[in-house]
Amino acid sequence: MPQTTERRRNVAPWWGLLFAIGAIVCNLVLFLVSLSWQGMLPWLSLLCAILALIFLVVGLLRAFAQAHIYRGRVLSVVLTVVSVLPIGLTAFAFVTARRLPNSVAVPQVGQRVPDFTLSDSSGKQVSLDQLLAPASTGSQAPAPKAVLLIFYRGYW
Amino acid sequence: MAEFQAAGVSPVAISVDLPEASRDLAVKAGYTFPMLSDPDAEVIRRYHLLHPAAGPDGHDIARPAEFLVDSSKIVRWTNFTEDIRVRARADEMLAAARQLH
Repeated sequence: MPQTTERRRNVAPWWGLLFAIGAIVCNLVLFLVSLSWQGMLPWLSLLCAILALIFLVVGLLRAFAQAHIYRGRVLSVVLTVVSVLPIGLTAFAFVTARRLPNSVAVPQVGQRVPDFTLSDSSGKQVSLDQLLAPASTGSQAPAPKAVLLIFYRGYW
Repeated sequence: MAEFQAAGVSPVAISVDLPEASRDLAVKAGYTFPMLSDPDAEVIRRYHLLHPAAGPDGHDIARPAEFLVDSSKIVRWTNFTEDIRVRARADEMLAAARQLH
């Protein structure tokens, strides 16, 4: 059978794996460094995951439905199995990371914020008024022009 | 931190973490600004930032948010991320701080 030896290489699964790795790299970059264009990274990771899926499906179709033209049955299956986890994780991370409450009642620019008194990391009670007052410890330090309130998810 | 002070802005962090956890984080990360503890998410609720059951063991936590609040307690700048992986950057917050008059 001459055409068995002349079957073409099936490179699509390799592209699939490459994009699956790319999707994970995007997530790692988001986790490890802070970049000015980081807002694009979640979308880039999703794009990589989608491209990975497309290439893997193409690779499988070539290997199985067009087996007379393409090689790589085992390869396409192995690379698809390997890529499923990073693709799945990327999709899961994308959905869960963006599932955030969107309250219209959040204080907006120009509005007054509610007062509060909370304990700091040494257990001392601190109020918003105190935060806006001149620092008691640094004697000549003037009152701050503003405070930057950073609400965060917590450290665990 | 010194740059925020130069801009006349004091950063303050708020979460549901207990003071001990905040202290651990402050030591580990070298934070010198106040880290306030709101374990029952009472203030977080008052600011409408509650993210229900999003913490470990399904307890309520704060959604990430940043507010620049002037001496009359008026909000001058805000930042609400749409993705918890996209965190507020110090240079963004510093730029907002420097634009205050």
